[in-house]
Amino acid sequence: MPRSPVGREIDRVDGRLKVTGAAEYSGDYRAPERAADLAHAHLVTSTIARGTITRIDTAAALASPGVLRVYAAPEPIERLALYGVTGQAAGFTEPYIPLQTAAVHFYGQAIAMVVAETPEQARDAAALVTATYAAEPPRTSIADEPHVPAGPTISGSPSSLNILAPGVESIDAALAASDVVVEAEFHQNVQHHVGMEPHAVLAVWEEPDRVTIYAGAQIPAAYALGMAQRLGLLPQNVRLITKYVGGGFGARVVLWSDTPLAAAAARELGRPVRLVLTREQMFTLTGHRSHLTQTVRLGASRRGVLNAVSHRSLAERPSTMSFTMTPAHSTSDALYSTPNLHVDAQLAVLDIPGSRAMRGPNEAPGSFALETAMDELAIATGVDPVALRLRNYATTSPSSGLPWSSKHLDECYRVGAERFGWSTRSATPRARVDGQWLYGTGMATAIYPAARRTGFAARVQLRNDDTAVVSTATSDLGTGATTMVAISGADALGIPLARVTPEIGDTYLPPGAPAVGSSGTHATVPLVVDAARNVIAELKRLAVTRDGSPWQGAAAEDLRYERGILHGGGRSMTFGRLLTAIGSRGVDMESSPGGDPIPGVIHHSFGAHFCEVRVNRFTGETRVTRFTTVADVGRVINAKAARSQLVGGVIFGIGHALLEENHLELRTGRLANSTLADYLVPVNADVPDIDVVMLDRPDPRLTGPLGDGSEDVGTGSLGARGLGEIGTVASAAAIGNAVYNATGIRVRDVPITPDKLIEHL
Amino acid sequence: MRPYTFAQARSVREALRGAGSDTAFLAGGTTLVDLMKLEVMTPERVVDINRLPLDGITLDRKGLHIGALERMSDVAADPAVRENYPMVAQALELSASAQLRNMASIGGNLLQRTRCGYFRDVSTPCNKREPGSGCSALEGVNRGHAVLGTSDDCIASHPSDLAVPLVALSTVVHLASARGTRSVPLDTFYTLPGSTPDVENVLRPNELITGITVPRSPWAAHSLYVKVRDRQSYEFALTSAAVALEVRGRTITNARVAAGGVGTRPWRLTAVERALTGRPATSATFEAAVVRAADGAQPREHNAFKPALLRRTLVRALTELQESR
Repeated sequence: MPRSPVGREIDRVDGRLKVTGAAEYSGDYRAPERAADLAHAHLVTSTIARGTITRIDTAAALASPGVLRVYAAPEPIERLALYGVTGQAAGFTEPYIPLQTAAVHFYGQAIAMVVAETPEQARDAAALVTATYAAEPPRTSIADEPHVPAGPTISGSPSSLNILAPGVESIDAALAASDVVVEAEFHQNVQHHVGMEPHAVLAVWEEPDRVTIYAGAQIPAAYALGMAQRLGLLPQNVRLITKYVGGGFGARVVLWSDTPLAAAAARELGRPVRLVLTREQMFTLTGHRSHLTQTVRLGASRRGVLNAVSHRSLAERPSTMSFTMTPAHSTSDALYSTPNLHVDAQLAVLDIPGSRAMRGPNEAPGSFALETAMDELAIATGVDPVALRLRNYATTSPSSGLPWSSKHLDECYRVGAERFGWSTRSATPRARVDGQWLYGTGMATAIYPAARRTGFAARVQLRNDDTAVVSTATSDLGTGATTMVAISGADALGIPLARVTPEIGDTYLPPGAPAVGSSGTHATVPLVVDAARNVIAELKRLAVTRDGSPWQGAAAEDLRYERGILHGGGRSMTFGRLLTAIGSRGVDMESSPGGDPIPGVIHHSFGAHFCEVRVNRFTGETRVTRFTTVADVGRVINAKAARSQLVGGVIFGIGHALLEENHLELRTGRLANSTLADYLVPVNADVPDIDVVMLDRPDPRLTGPLGDGSEDVGTGSLGARGLGEIGTVASAAAIGNAVYNATGIRVRDVPITPDKLIEHL
Repeated sequence: MRPYTFAQARSVREALRGAGSDTAFLAGGTTLVDLMKLEVMTPERVVDINRLPLDGITLDRKGLHIGALERMSDVAADPAVRENYPMVAQALELSASAQLRNMASIGGNLLQRTRCGYFRDVSTPCNKREPGSGCSALEGVNRGHAVLGTSDDCIASHPSDLAVPLVALSTVVHLASARGTRSVPLDTFYTLPGSTPDVENVLRPNELITGITVPRSPWAAHSLYVKVRDRQSYEFALTSAAVALEVRGRTITNARVAAGGVGTRPWRLTAVERALTGRPATSATFEAAVVRAADGAQPREHNAFKPALLRRTLVRALTELQESR
């Protein structure tokens, strides 16, 4: 009898392919049937941030060996036919059409493309393209450029809120009336997703009006739809294959300029075209997290009970693609109980490369500010940081007043504090010195929305060899989504995991859930459960109607499906044998529509981080020595992949706290650290063993039923919430708070580098 | 990358035949190939010198002799180096990554080019790459740049870790050209940028490094290299310090001190050495000796912390070395 794989330590079903190099990522596809035809593109990028291209000299590139074409802005649309994108796909497509005008919107924009017989020939010829510009001074300073309200948050709520208790005139009045006030300003520079796999695309045209695109995409359906509009095609004539993806983190949400350019060139040349961005180009052509300034003000009683929370932010609105940065969203507007709440987000229009959501897009920077300020409040009131958070524990949302579907954050604090040994901590800074090193500990709270996304589908096929195929066009960014699909299929059908083949990453499959917002798993699992329920119903229908079935003529409701076997009338048969008996190779059904959010509750995942650092008392390097994270993420589907996600999230936080920043040159608009030598991400030596605990408490009110919900199969929707981002949220604050405990120095501008500590050490 | 001709040489004489300013010698390739891909270096001829007999790590009464083609990882692992010149092994092990150290040669390490981001980005002005085009770093992002030995034309820092202890130990570089051989102290091998930052050393276009000799000094065995950086591995130094002390009783009788990450070349700190010599090996001595270590520093917008960090790095290195006795 198979044991359900749900919640167990399951190896990735594609792990072996990945570690042996057999998995084909977008840049690996060879278009075997047309390999001899394959041409290679390379982009040329702008070296001013704002202005107009007055001349592009392509003669030397054209004369270079192997060069097939050089496309340079402004390119006549007859050659490189690209069109505007409207409607649903517009929000996921870069708004400007590359190479169609002479306008330069940011430093590092694509201004020309060389296509050649080999990648090396294309690259070398691209270096020979020169451009002259009529440059204008770029808008680069968020402080100096005019500010505009950010507009609605990612979930549609207002970015500005002012909730006041009866009789309170203003947030300032509420703060002024508080016993203790903490006010702190925070800055951070531009950050980047830096997925391991470079952005790569292969475009293969099968017909003059039909193309297959191989590219990494987090929202396959929107990406394909955007491509269809960009290329002037019917939506069904663009097929996107995105089977293996080497990291998304938000950078592959958007259809950037690279894929349309490669596809348009392939169409004009009549050859498949591959385009792989250089690592340097990825820093300007595939998005970044906006640099920003935040101000948090907390007013509290002497015992630390919050009376007022104010959280304001100022971030970029790049003139092309812009992510609406609202750092208080799901942090200050959701985390702590307070009678007076004020949040506000402003943006400044800049001539800077397009920005995009990056892992914990609002919550990672927002929680750094809020959770650092909470640590400052703990110091100011003398209340222990964990006790302070429990004292302000919210049971309903401070902004909407709604209760949570499920919340065990208090247990996260308790379990984490115990595992970490929090009680032995000294609240006095600089209390623990060991040789050259000052040791300190800190903690912070993580919160991330778990909004259910609907409108997607999965298909389950039962085959006559007693295997099943589960198909849905979601995307596996390296998270383990493929394995999750297999696990939920095996669980819903009650058959061994090895007998389930998952199919994802192909827009010719049923439209799958986007791999964004920590929602892939909790959006996909109910679809698979429902499709399994539907296919079992269909199997019973076949059993009672088809020739060759021992149950022909019986009533379907007298049949019982259990663990891959139909029972009824004293007989039993596996679904494979039944299918064979009726002469069918397989039967498949899709999930039903529905699954709408449950009204009257809100959904978040939660976590608590506990961290120890050491800081060199001479030279100020901060090293993370211990880390414990306890997460309340609902049901865990795959304990191994889930732990990897949380560990990876914490490593993101280490980068945020200690390493990652790209300096924007105010004079030129150039992002100065746009290489992996100059933009530092953590290496193994920076990462201690990270202790992760998942409470594994299924969320009972996560999602409404799909279809009629009449017959439950397996364990229903399982109650799995998202966990892809929760590790990133507030882990940087835990590190910063530990640095304060070690040194007595509060650094509010991340990353916390030695230069910011030494003058006070 | 631009087209170039490629040849493999089997002897120093063969390598030097026809070598000129358009020739690049390929050893480990970790700098050259990197910069050729970026088109920062565009040699017309590349001569592979890996078959030249420039190997060997030997210790004799004169000192430690290392062939120019010895790999960083091999030198770092050599027992004679580890025992007699620990700071040399430490500087090597704190450099780059294991993969790079397996490839990179000692001669190439001493000749590696700066990590200045403007030098490496051909779309920006850089006097070192393109004389007369201007220095983008002066008003640009210059957190990693030098504060000592800079000029109005260049503030690029010297990237080598290895060169720091070697300069402290008065290492001699052996050079060969068609005209013969010569030996130059490493300290004067490197030149200051001045108005010609494209010239980084006294090596002539048709000249090769064949090896180095680190003089014998018994107290070099009591030495330490400390490297300060944001990331724990695989990053160049914000500051670094190579220190060697001879202590008799409580008194410092000999001191060698050099710094990295702060200068346009590896920076020997003879004034600090003098301030340490003859004094007791105490924190007070260390603190006092480093007070003027960064005298003459010319900090820019983002690297104003470097003089203070340099002094702290030196105190840390001296303290740690003394405590390890």
